[in-house]
Amino acid sequence: MPTFRQRMKPRIAILGGIVMTVLLVLLIRLWSMQVVNGATYAAQAESNRVRTITTIAPRGRILDRNGKPLVTNRATLAVVVQPSVRDDDELLTRLSNLLSVPLPELMERVNSVKEAALAPRVVAIDVPLETVAYLSEHESEFPGVEVQTRAIREYPQGKLAAHVLGYTGEISDSELAEAEFSDYDPTDIVGKAGAERAFESVLQGDRGVKLMEVNASGEAQRVIKETDPEPGRDVVLTLDIEVQKITEKALQDALREAHKQKFTKAKGSSAVVLDVKSGEVLAMASTPTYDPSVFLGGISNKEWRSLTSTSSEFPLTNRAIMGQYPAASTFKAFIGMAGLQEGITRQWATYRCAGYWTEMGDQWGKWCWKHSGHGIESLMDGIADSCDVVFYEIGYKFYKIKGEPLQASLRSWGFGKPLGIELPGEASGRVPDAAWKKAFNENYPEYQQWLPGDTVNMSIGQGDLLVTPLQIGSTYAGIANNGKVMQPHVLRKVLGSDGSTVIGPTKKVVHTADVSKRNVDIMDSALRGVTTQGTAGRVFRGFPIAVSGKTGTAQIAGKDDFAWFVAYAPASDPKYCVVVAVEQGGHGGSVAAPATREILSVLFDQKVEYVTAEDNSR
Amino acid sequence: MNSTQRPRLHFANPALIAVVVLLAAYGSLMVRSAVSGMSVGDALFKRHLLGLGVGLVPLIVAWALDYRRFRGWAAPLMIGGCALILSPLVPGLGASAKGAQLWLEVGGMRLFQPSEPGKLIFIVALAAYISAHKGRFDSASDVLKVLGFAAFPFMLVVVVGDLGTGLVFAAITLGMLLIGGLPGRWFLALALVGVLGVGTLFGLNSVLNRALERGPYDPAYIAAKQSGSESALAEVEDTSVLIKRYQLNRLIVFIDPSGDPTGAGYNLEQSKIAIGSGELTGKGLNEGTQSNLNFLPERHTDFIFSVLGEELGFMGALVLLGLYFFLLLTALEIAASARDLFGTLIAVGVIAMWTFQILENVGMTIGLMPITGIPLPFMSFGSSFMVTNLAATGMLLSVWARRYV
Repeated sequence: MPTFRQRMKPRIAILGGIVMTVLLVLLIRLWSMQVVNGATYAAQAESNRVRTITTIAPRGRILDRNGKPLVTNRATLAVVVQPSVRDDDELLTRLSNLLSVPLPELMERVNSVKEAALAPRVVAIDVPLETVAYLSEHESEFPGVEVQTRAIREYPQGKLAAHVLGYTGEISDSELAEAEFSDYDPTDIVGKAGAERAFESVLQGDRGVKLMEVNASGEAQRVIKETDPEPGRDVVLTLDIEVQKITEKALQDALREAHKQKFTKAKGSSAVVLDVKSGEVLAMASTPTYDPSVFLGGISNKEWRSLTSTSSEFPLTNRAIMGQYPAASTFKAFIGMAGLQEGITRQWATYRCAGYWTEMGDQWGKWCWKHSGHGIESLMDGIADSCDVVFYEIGYKFYKIKGEPLQASLRSWGFGKPLGIELPGEASGRVPDAAWKKAFNENYPEYQQWLPGDTVNMSIGQGDLLVTPLQIGSTYAGIANNGKVMQPHVLRKVLGSDGSTVIGPTKKVVHTADVSKRNVDIMDSALRGVTTQGTAGRVFRGFPIAVSGKTGTAQIAGKDDFAWFVAYAPASDPKYCVVVAVEQGGHGGSVAAPATREILSVLFDQKVEYVTAEDNSR
Repeated sequence: MNSTQRPRLHFANPALIAVVVLLAAYGSLMVRSAVSGMSVGDALFKRHLLGLGVGLVPLIVAWALDYRRFRGWAAPLMIGGCALILSPLVPGLGASAKGAQLWLEVGGMRLFQPSEPGKLIFIVALAAYISAHKGRFDSASDVLKVLGFAAFPFMLVVVVGDLGTGLVFAAITLGMLLIGGLPGRWFLALALVGVLGVGTLFGLNSVLNRALERGPYDPAYIAAKQSGSESALAEVEDTSVLIKRYQLNRLIVFIDPSGDPTGAGYNLEQSKIAIGSGELTGKGLNEGTQSNLNFLPERHTDFIFSVLGEELGFMGALVLLGLYFFLLLTALEIAASARDLFGTLIAVGVIAMWTFQILENVGMTIGLMPITGIPLPFMSFGSSFMVTNLAATGMLLSVWARRYV
């Protein structure tokens, strides 16, 4: 019989095995956690203890050329709602009553899809202090509702220059994906349009970052690392507030005049004032306009719709750079110079206008705007009177020359391409040619061939030709500048934190027209004739400054005529160039030219008067 | 065996004493580090050292007492132990922690947790009972008798609300029955009964709660829940009959800790982050961010191992498990060299107690076991617990010292 201890041995061995197993299991698990996956846990521990607090850097201001503020910043008390309570109708109803924001609008803001999914929605800004006090006293009754101080844009001049300034908003998902915004946060406010967008990189400051060590209750223990926010840079634009004001007023006057002349559909219009020598934009206006402050704190869907629906006439569109219209008679200057350069016309060449032109065959006859005919006209008369027949003749001659020299000449002025102004969304316009027509009518073989009528129509600025008001302004400034087209620009300089200039003014010739100085001078004197005895003669009667310019009246199928006027002055040594375009406004001489005179009056310190005159030309 | 062959220091076991001293020192080091950031840290550390000092008394007493004197005391010891376990329920004597009556309190002064010495009394009583059967369980009635004997204090501990200690009692019982000669098939049967028992417990809890409108069926609880206010919900007293809500939550988060990272799962999640982030060599003593920035709850008591894992890393954990290995190895040697079954069983009871507590405590900090309030032997802060462990060491020494006579 085995002894007691011998009997115990196997049983104790089993117990020893259990003990070993327990210790081994623990050890293996610890090895896996601490050695194999240690780094993952270490990262979790780090994110537990470190809080990153970012301080938003104030956005740079936008100033006019004289340093007067156009866009500044101010602090506001905003009520924000967490998206988690978006379905709590009862809560939102109470909030709606408290904030006096209509419930549907509040709901719309809370459910806004324009903001990141988890970002708190701003439902009201500029909340009165009593309301803030009430909310903080009744915190428990308003779960998910908070009051935050936010820095928002302020527009001391209201809607003035809204299209140039643009507006700001929370960065969108698609923007975040772009390389330019690679170091942005999902809640950052960025420029969405105009100068705000164009100069985003300098207006946006660098966020301040503070790394704090916190304990389990979230209480800060110490600062690990801190970098101060770097405010955005102030941007000085080339705009002049006073010129901008009269430019916007002139457009309103032009629209009113158009309505008076029974052109009741006139709503969209635009104007640009350029410095001839430098290409600086002194004023740029577009109607209908909008109030950039509606975007503050997030625009409601209803407001967004009212700015983007078809019936709104698209107030967000900057027609001065985005509107593309037939140039109409304003184009005759470039056709004339191309003809002079090509030798197919001369300054005093004689044309005979009988009111109806049948050079291409009787079945292809075309009217001059003056059906009774201008009689004998020189090229000079053709510009002053805007005689279509003169330019039908030149165009038809161009058609017969191989190699499309007319289009080449027009492109040398910069037509058909964006001029490269800093503002986003500039349209290119269009200079039609045979290759374009073929590609454009790819599916309509019968329309692919370039016809004489195509060149002839283009020669009076019609047909498939499209230009932007800025292109017309810049190229006329180019005529005033001996064929040198300056790059139009709105940035004068960028200021450093101490007010010094970090980025200075730029001046760049963007196109040198393929035309001799002599031929430019001929056109210059012809354009002078427009305001003395030509189609704008009556409007500029008595104006003490010599003005060169051109009227235009564009025809667009199914719409009323579009009114153009472009001018530069003083004629002897041009300083400013002004272009006005009024969609469905009627005739250039009677609607656009008076508005131009108004603007020129302010530019030359003259008494501002609105002159009315009749014009039937195109 | 001849008494002249006995070594001179035959009554002492230097290996056991050395490993206990090392463990106590290691534990003190970790408690010191764990409490260093607390405002009452110094006072707590002093209390820890006091517990160590006070524990020497029962160690020496147990060592000096001949364990064999208790051979016939199975019944009286069990009755005394049960009375001790129930004592906090006597009005004026009890204090509660986490909704369970755990502390013996007289005149507003907390004395100790009666379940702690209760474990040792239970070990001696069960050893006496089993050894009276001479390590044989011939009939089913023998088995049922011993199970009934062991189950009695187990039930009482659960009633008091200390499920964790109940599990320690169960582990001790299983270990002692294994050595005491319970046939293998009975362990299978016990496992089955255990599973059924747990199921019954939960089922009964649910049925009783519903019938008596307590726990989740308590009108006050339902009202608080419907109000949607977290604080109101936290204030409602948990009136569940058998299984308290916090116990249920601990089980739920053991299964899915990420499901509730700031509530009941928070402790586990933070503990795992602490231990894992210690990596191979740890962040250094007092340098644990999880511990010093309060992410770790109860870091000087139940979660002392998380502090160790974070600050001393895998190497520190390896040293601790190594020390435990030697402690248990020495205890196994004592169990094997005891001169009678009673002595072996006492040693085995202590081994089972320590092994289960190590498994449960370290296991819960790394997500292997559900969270219960079981401390880590010789490491956790807590004087009742320290005194118990030192007394258990004394009992081992008592068995060792009398291996020849």
